[in-house]
Amino acid sequence: MTTASSSSSLHTVDTDSVVTLNDVKVHYPVKEGALQRVTGHVKAVDGVDLSIARGKTLGLVGESGCGKTTLGRVISGLVAPTGGDIWMDLSAQQQLDVNRLRGVNEAEMTAQDRQMWKDLTLNSRLGSMSREKQRQYRRNCQVVFQDAFSSLNPRQLVRDIVGRPLRVHEQTSGAELDKKVIELLERVGLGAEHLLRFPHQFSGGQRQRISIARALALNPEFVILDEPTSALDVSVQAQILNLLVDLQAEMGLTYLFITHDLGVVQHMADHIAVMYLGQIVEYGPTDQVFDSPLHPYSRVLRDSNPSLEGERNRDWELSGTVPNPIEPPHGCRLHPRCPVAAAGCGWSVSDVMSRTEENSPVIFETIKTVDRSDDYNAQINFENEGDAQGFVSQLNGSVINESMHRPPEVRGASVKVSFNEVSDASLEQIQDGRWSSCIRTQERGTLPDLNKSQQVNGKEGQ
Amino acid sequence: MSQDWLLKVDNLSVRFQSRGGDAHAVEGVSFEIQRGETLALVGETGCGKSVTARSILRLVPEPPGKYVAGSIKLNVEGKGVVDILSASTKEVMAIRGERISMIFQDPGKALNPSLTIGSQLAEVFGQHRVEMILESAGIEPARASRAEKRIAKQRASFVQLRFFQLTRRSKAAALQKSIDDAVARSLADTGIPNPRKIMKSYPHELSGGMKQRVMIAQALACDPDLLIADEPTTALDVTIQARILELIQDMQKRRGMAVLYITHDLSIVREFADRIAVMYAGHIVETGPAQEVLANPQHPYTNGLLGAIPHRRTPRGQLAAIPGSVPQLIDPPEQCHFASRCQWAAEACLGHVPQLHTIQPNRKVACFRFEEAESLSVAKTDMPIPAEISGEARR
Amino acid sequence: MTTGPGSKKTAQSPTPKKSAVTVKWARRLEVGREVLRNPLTVIGLTIIFLFLMMAVFAPLLAEPNQPDPYQSPRDWSNIDSPPGVAGHVLGTDSTGGDVLYGIIWGSRLSLQLSVTVVLFTLVFGTMVGSIAAMRGGRIDNLLMRIVDVFLSIPELIFALAIAAVLGPSFSNIILALAAVFWVKYARIIRGEIIKVKQADYVAAARVVGDSSWNIYRKDVLPNAATPLIVQATLDMGNVVLIGATLSFIGLAQAGLTEWGALVSAGQSGLLAGEWWVSTFAGLAIVLWALAFNLVGDGLRDVLDPKTEGR
Repeated sequence: MTTASSSSSLHTVDTDSVVTLNDVKVHYPVKEGALQRVTGHVKAVDGVDLSIARGKTLGLVGESGCGKTTLGRVISGLVAPTGGDIWMDLSAQQQLDVNRLRGVNEAEMTAQDRQMWKDLTLNSRLGSMSREKQRQYRRNCQVVFQDAFSSLNPRQLVRDIVGRPLRVHEQTSGAELDKKVIELLERVGLGAEHLLRFPHQFSGGQRQRISIARALALNPEFVILDEPTSALDVSVQAQILNLLVDLQAEMGLTYLFITHDLGVVQHMADHIAVMYLGQIVEYGPTDQVFDSPLHPYSRVLRDSNPSLEGERNRDWELSGTVPNPIEPPHGCRLHPRCPVAAAGCGWSVSDVMSRTEENSPVIFETIKTVDRSDDYNAQINFENEGDAQGFVSQLNGSVINESMHRPPEVRGASVKVSFNEVSDASLEQIQDGRWSSCIRTQERGTLPDLNKSQQVNGKEGQ
Repeated sequence: MSQDWLLKVDNLSVRFQSRGGDAHAVEGVSFEIQRGETLALVGETGCGKSVTARSILRLVPEPPGKYVAGSIKLNVEGKGVVDILSASTKEVMAIRGERISMIFQDPGKALNPSLTIGSQLAEVFGQHRVEMILESAGIEPARASRAEKRIAKQRASFVQLRFFQLTRRSKAAALQKSIDDAVARSLADTGIPNPRKIMKSYPHELSGGMKQRVMIAQALACDPDLLIADEPTTALDVTIQARILELIQDMQKRRGMAVLYITHDLSIVREFADRIAVMYAGHIVETGPAQEVLANPQHPYTNGLLGAIPHRRTPRGQLAAIPGSVPQLIDPPEQCHFASRCQWAAEACLGHVPQLHTIQPNRKVACFRFEEAESLSVAKTDMPIPAEISGEARR
Repeated sequence: MTTGPGSKKTAQSPTPKKSAVTVKWARRLEVGREVLRNPLTVIGLTIIFLFLMMAVFAPLLAEPNQPDPYQSPRDWSNIDSPPGVAGHVLGTDSTGGDVLYGIIWGSRLSLQLSVTVVLFTLVFGTMVGSIAAMRGGRIDNLLMRIVDVFLSIPELIFALAIAAVLGPSFSNIILALAAVFWVKYARIIRGEIIKVKQADYVAAARVVGDSSWNIYRKDVLPNAATPLIVQATLDMGNVVLIGATLSFIGLAQAGLTEWGALVSAGQSGLLAGEWWVSTFAGLAIVLWALAFNLVGDGLRDVLDPKTEGR
């Protein structure tokens, strides 16, 4: 719990948070063989720091498989994290305290710190706070799911679906329940006549309204919206988005808006967090992130989003495909695909292999075996010296070569490669309230230019 | 120009029988596609755009589907005009894949999970390009033996193939190489970096974008005149979407084929389509050049659709949503189907179905706001407030 | 905010005086009416109804034999008489037992057999399968391996072995069949529950904070049960078929008015041209199994989640 993590992990400035995450991880074991031995872990969420400010909307964006839905499920308690802490209701000061204390070993704490840490964990940390508090957190945090067709039990009436939270938590029933459910239905634009209907009797938009009514039944403070409109048509989506905004103003709700649609998030969110391969790569106020992204991935996302006006900038693109989340790349996870990747971005032996396979399949075929001493050092064996030379010359001038400890040596029919070790990229505050995990941005304070580095990272062999 | 059309859909009506009555999925839809042109059929769920597209390949299942009226004419170069709806099954089979091919929303479902990419593509070549494969293997198609033909067609049984490989080794190798080359070339064409490796992999080993590229390679294997792309990027991540669309555009330019996009996403239309046809409840309600229609929509529905797209300039929570939802299609009343959601709706809109009306040389709109009371024999007071066509002034 | 197509419907249907219970029953009735649209299902239901009537009114249709009504009365003067002779509508067997009497009273045994076996296996199988699927992990693994062992032995042979060990009696046939049939249900319900558990409405119920038992009762089981209902209907027929096989090879008491036993009893006379005993008893078995299969298939068509919900 007190492993040293970066002391300035992501926190909301000046405001309370409904939820704060510290280094949250969800690793699913991968089992193989007859004995079901664990051979690795899928790192669906891998070390996420996040704070969600009260009364605001935080947009969580990323492509499919980046872990945004899993993260939403962790916050809602549907998935247990395999690591890290989740805190509820921290003031701005408390967030700073938590950050500070997490960096200190428990044995080295002063008596005062120890007391503070104890109070914090007992009062606000999920898992160590009282049952009553946990229950309160569950009541306060509700979810609206993406697929309104699958999130409503087809065999229950609307009354039972929307009234269920009331039954469970407040033992409401009978006429009292009917009255409350009708109130809720009216709040989301439906009416008493819908009370005794089955879900299949509604259109997609209406079902999502029912879903929202259910989420609001217990007067929560915080609602997780997991792609609430991506299954809907635009004209209906607009109705639902308007409704969500009205409800937020009316009830003072905090939203975590999970989506892949940048247009929607731009319209809805105060802050956005961009996720890639299990980690948050950029966080900041929505407008600023869109105007001047501080991470190459956010930049690519923004630029590839088709829009109804203006010309799309086609310069920023990712190469290749999303890497395997069981063994994510070292350093910055984007570097093998990044258009501005440089020597210090975390290149390792696996990158050499996959890059060779992608760009020069002929050379890749000549590789006989690879002896890895670790992720950064290896000896690659070829049939003959010529092939080895070909392999080395293929790497010449690429950013991979620059990132090596010393240039690759050809020894007979084998090549020795040795990379500089790079620690994993972490979010750092670059400007006031803006975080980015791009190593190069952290050095320069701005997003690196495309043109200069493109020559370094030439697309050879394509 | 009128002679140059490739596909002409005329007054197409498709209905689906159901217990409650007939669902009028497509009603009186007419449009043309010129050679090399890109047309986008745009609309929301249930508007009939997919049924229209499937009708072009006669892929609507009958029953419950039924082609009630209309024709779909394909202008085949050198062979004259074929009406797909009244053609024989054999003719339709010849058109599918050869003249018109289609890619689907979910490439994962359209590929056979138990065959390698290479063998799936080889099948397409075997079906439509036997001669080419035989020729490039150095076998004259007219004098090819039965076994050779069967192998080229990918129809040879295992025993036959082994026997051939054992007895006529060089020819077998040449044939295999010819097939592999054709497949590899078609994959490389779609920008797949390592086609020889992809050929050996199974669909589940590929990412969504890669699968869509394979689908495109498969669809374009036979140089079709028309490619129908049914929501080709909906299932893909945003960083890949643009690249797939650019690929289709690029292939289109190189081969001079026409493309029919079926989509609900107006923003991709703007960049990748020449013309647009907006559909609502089975009818085309507005057509015109894509840029113009999107910049200056005339039909209230098109206008509403554009207003509903979240935009950073719109104040939060004030999206111009279209109230209500799509009307039922089962035995719909004789009226403008958008009337129940339209702010301009008047008495006349509830009594007649509006027809497409030319408002500018290239633009048509089906709305009574653009028509005269006299031509409909309706009282003037029953007509909606006439629209001011502002397109000319703005341009 | 205006509502969509729903508003039109409400104008037609009067909302007051409707309760959740009536709405739910209306929905069930609707499903029932859907089932009755298939003529084959109606034929099946009719046959089942006739058999039911036969079982219920057996004492009226054929005067019960004293002291044991499940032993045919013996008419020693008319052995092996063909149908229609001496008031024996369907003839008699080699011990003078009336075939019609056997079939009528046999329907009671068949009903008893199928209802007991199916009810027991349905409940027990559902319990085992549900525990495996809801708990998961090691318990699931253990239970499913047991199920696998059962499944690896052919139903008939397994039932035969059990019945043979227990000794020849009708109640032992019931026991043997019950011991065999439950595994199928455990398998089916486990698979279904694992599928249903992925649904967002189960996640939604967990977010709401409902107990696991309530989630199982309200969300999981109702949505996982349809294939079970279909399977149970089909098994009502299958059980009688296998039960008949067992008594055919003599695992029921001698002379019992069980259809399988009747077929067996008539077997020796078949070569001598005395076709009626085996034929009529066999016909009863076939009709019974066929009827339940027709209804089961009809139910599957309507209840299958793929066609449901429109």
